[in-house]
Amino acid sequence: MHRDIIIVGLNHRTAPIEVRERVAVEESLVPAALRTIRNLRSVHESAVLSTCNRVEVVAATSDRDSAFAEVKKFLLDQEQAGETVTDQHLYAYAGGEAVRHLFRVAASLDSMVVGEPQILGQLKTYYTAAQEAGSIGAILHRLFHRSFSVAKRVRTETGIASRAVSIGSVAVELAKRIFDRLQDKTVMLIGAGKMGHLVARQLKRGGVSSLMVTNRTFETAVQAAAEFEGNPIRFEEFHRYLKLADLVVGCAAAPDFLLRREAVEETLRERKHEAMFFIDLAERRNFDPRINSLANVYLYDIDDLQAVAQENLNGRAGEVDKAERIVDEEVESFLGWLDSLEQVPTIVALKERLEAIRRSEMEKSLRTSLKGMSEKERRAIEDMTSAMIGKILHGPISRLKKPLDEEEEALYVDALRKLFGLDEK
Amino acid sequence: MNEILLFKGTALIYLLATGAFFLYLVLLKDVYARVAPFILLVGFAVHTAALGGQIAHNGFPAVTDLREALSVYSWLVVGIYLLVQLKYRLTVLGCFVAPLAFLMALAGLAVGPGGELPPGLKTSWLYIHVTLAFLGNAVFALAFAVSLMYLVQESRLKSKRMTALYKLLPSLERLDRLNYIFLVWGFPLMTLGIVTGSLWAGVYWGAYWSWDPRYIASVITWLLYATLLQGRITAGWRGKRAATLTIVGFVVVLGYFLWGDAVFPSRHTGNFE
Repeated sequence: MHRDIIIVGLNHRTAPIEVRERVAVEESLVPAALRTIRNLRSVHESAVLSTCNRVEVVAATSDRDSAFAEVKKFLLDQEQAGETVTDQHLYAYAGGEAVRHLFRVAASLDSMVVGEPQILGQLKTYYTAAQEAGSIGAILHRLFHRSFSVAKRVRTETGIASRAVSIGSVAVELAKRIFDRLQDKTVMLIGAGKMGHLVARQLKRGGVSSLMVTNRTFETAVQAAAEFEGNPIRFEEFHRYLKLADLVVGCAAAPDFLLRREAVEETLRERKHEAMFFIDLAERRNFDPRINSLANVYLYDIDDLQAVAQENLNGRAGEVDKAERIVDEEVESFLGWLDSLEQVPTIVALKERLEAIRRSEMEKSLRTSLKGMSEKERRAIEDMTSAMIGKILHGPISRLKKPLDEEEEALYVDALRKLFGLDEK
Repeated sequence: MNEILLFKGTALIYLLATGAFFLYLVLLKDVYARVAPFILLVGFAVHTAALGGQIAHNGFPAVTDLREALSVYSWLVVGIYLLVQLKYRLTVLGCFVAPLAFLMALAGLAVGPGGELPPGLKTSWLYIHVTLAFLGNAVFALAFAVSLMYLVQESRLKSKRMTALYKLLPSLERLDRLNYIFLVWGFPLMTLGIVTGSLWAGVYWGAYWSWDPRYIASVITWLLYATLLQGRITAGWRGKRAATLTIVGFVVVLGYFLWGDAVFPSRHTGNFE
């Protein structure tokens, strides 16, 4: 049996936000999704990861092609997927490539905002969910834990995270290009999305002192307002307060735009055309993109912020290279472990085979030529024969356990199995 | 002719300052941001000495010919910039001011000296008129520069295509506020400049107004800036619209200043009879 790891998914590079959101798996729906995936014939272990930027299924399998096909089908059959999501949006990795991909995701090298720290936390959350759902086995357990330590290494050994240009810091940076100082500005946070909270927190750290929070569930708004030391506002009334907001952060789950161009135009008149900065972080857009065409108004959605962050990053290619080298090393070492799993059964089978021979020969002798031995002598012979087998096996086993190239290893494993008839019952 | 030497020195130092600002623009190193305004300050000091020497020599502010006008004008622009730099740290504005000052200083050296001022013109009206009009224009030159920066920064932010330039330029809010400050300072200066000019003309030529191209250009610009100021205060005009109007207003003045006299002969400059 060959152990393999596959990853099928889509991210900000392969699919726009409108497509990504259609296959997104909310945290609460993870158990159900994993149940479906577990039922796939070719999948032994599995986990899903779903963030604003990516939806991925990680699986351990022994039949990579069927697993690819089945997991792809799972993603394309998502309730919301419809006709929008196609095979072209998906990527599929297996073996070393899959391991590398997961390590790069964990280390925030695959984020469009390279070096942003949130992804590791999200990965851990989804890993825990998969563990609780009982779909993690030895291989994914090891894979995920390695990915966490890769992320840690990259963070401590490279400068990638030191200036972590997250979405939030890009938003703050842009705000400081529009507004002279943030101290006298007011933020309105619409919705309870995680990204929205993160950006609001960073804007506060950037100096914003006044904050309004609104949510369809007023209690949630009250809670968030307490956290940010801001004012909760009823969702039905947020339009009325809009004129007070210089920065508007949207992260609400809504089927349609919360703000259209006309509404903002009206607000601007009330504000005497004082500049406004709209930040749309919702999975499905909250703000009409036409808002950006109004004078003194700037609208950035999550993809725009990421693109800016990417440009900021170009100057730091050296650190990325360093991080990629760490990932290379770790992929090597993980694949070594995965391969050792292949040798282990062979070694175990070999030991068992020889032990079986020893035992049957012992029994035969004890019944015939060695009949009437004292207990002490019998034990001495037992020990001696065991030691002989140990000595005989020592050479071949330590040879097998040393790192070998794939071809050599396959050759030895194959030879052992054939010579000792390990595959015969 | 110590002043000539000083004027040459001024031009040279302004060139050095231009180089330093250019290095700042390209390399974005803080050291140039500190050095460049300092060089400009040294140039300004030398320039002041040169003008002082000239006044001591001739006994009146030397603005009667193009050469002297350019010199005084660039001195004012640099002086106002240095004040702005002190208060607002707008180093990038120096990247506009330094080459402008250098070019004007150079042009001042290239243009030959004008004749003696007719004695009848040597009234205090002239000094007041010229000082106010030049101050106003210098302020508007800077307003023009910040407006240009505003348009560049605004288009970066709208198009979401960030270049290194966007980090260099100040925030839109600050640029817009500077536009307003320059307008608030420049407009009264310009108004008074026009009024005193008209009074002087009344004294000298006996008519406060004539359909002279320069008068018309000044009035067009004045109306433009008046509209802008009014719009800013009452209707909340700001941002791109304010920046565009400021630029148009300045281009009218500048265009007249540079080509106007050649195309439409005016009795305003050099032709006092």
